[in-house]
Amino acid sequence: MATIAFPSRLITVLRLLLGAVFIISGGEKLLDLKFFGLVVAEYQILPSLLIPAVAILVSLCELLCGIMLLLDLFSRISASVMLCMMAIFIAAMTNNLIRGLEHDCGCFEFLAQWYGLKEEIGIGPILRDILFFILLLPVALLGSNRNPWQKSHL
Amino acid sequence: MSRKSLRRTLVASLLLLSSISPAVAELYAAASVTLAKAKTDEVNLSAAKALFDTRSACFVDARPEYTYDKSHIKGACSLSDSRFDEQFPDFRQKITTGTLLVIYCVGPSCPKARHVAEKLKKNGYRNIKVFSGGLVEWSHAGFPIEE
Repeated sequence: MATIAFPSRLITVLRLLLGAVFIISGGEKLLDLKFFGLVVAEYQILPSLLIPAVAILVSLCELLCGIMLLLDLFSRISASVMLCMMAIFIAAMTNNLIRGLEHDCGCFEFLAQWYGLKEEIGIGPILRDILFFILLLPVALLGSNRNPWQKSHL
Repeated sequence: MSRKSLRRTLVASLLLLSSISPAVAELYAAASVTLAKAKTDEVNLSAAKALFDTRSACFVDARPEYTYDKSHIKGACSLSDSRFDEQFPDFRQKITTGTLLVIYCVGPSCPKARHVAEKLKKNGYRNIKVFSGGLVEWSHAGFPIEE
């Protein structure tokens, strides 16, 4: 069976790029958890009781996976977790668009604050998450799964 | 068609038109009254400011809570259209049904203030005004805002 040859340098670039993106995204959510929780509530998918826990979980997951990707620790697991999260984000935004709801997507609030870009749910954020999904695939499938306890091969 | 039958048709249509015109006029009048009624619960910027200054009304923000959190009319409380059912129990405990409420959204194109007004009416609140100019008009006028 033929395997796709994927340059390891490209995997490293993707890992570093996505790691930085998720650190920024998770970090800003953690800095303003109340705001992110209120945005999650606007999705009208989860019961009110679960919203604070989900807000913390999503923010922490993004931040930790970002750090892991950047440091190349458990990269495949981190990329897989982020793949699942991207799928959930895409499904949630599509669901809200179909229901005709209009609100912030809760993705990158700094883009709205610094550059005045609209970060509302719509085709743009969905396509962006699909792009992240595609970029995460090679890391999840072919990236290293190095862990701190693994002996380095010298 | 002969000339005679054409004249008959014309006379018949004139008679028909004159008979239904009072009914149409009545319908039109009823529509205007409904429209006028719908508009009477709206307040403009100066009226809203007067109510604000005299503290005779409670301002209600119909936008999502996360936008309310960023900025809102000073002293306003949040009751978003999107999460009305979740926020209403708290709102009902704080605000009595007799209180004069001024509900606002972002601006005139935003329907959320009117939606919240309708929901509040269904829940027994009768003293409701909608400030259609919303936060945009209020902040452009330089009136007090809380962040």
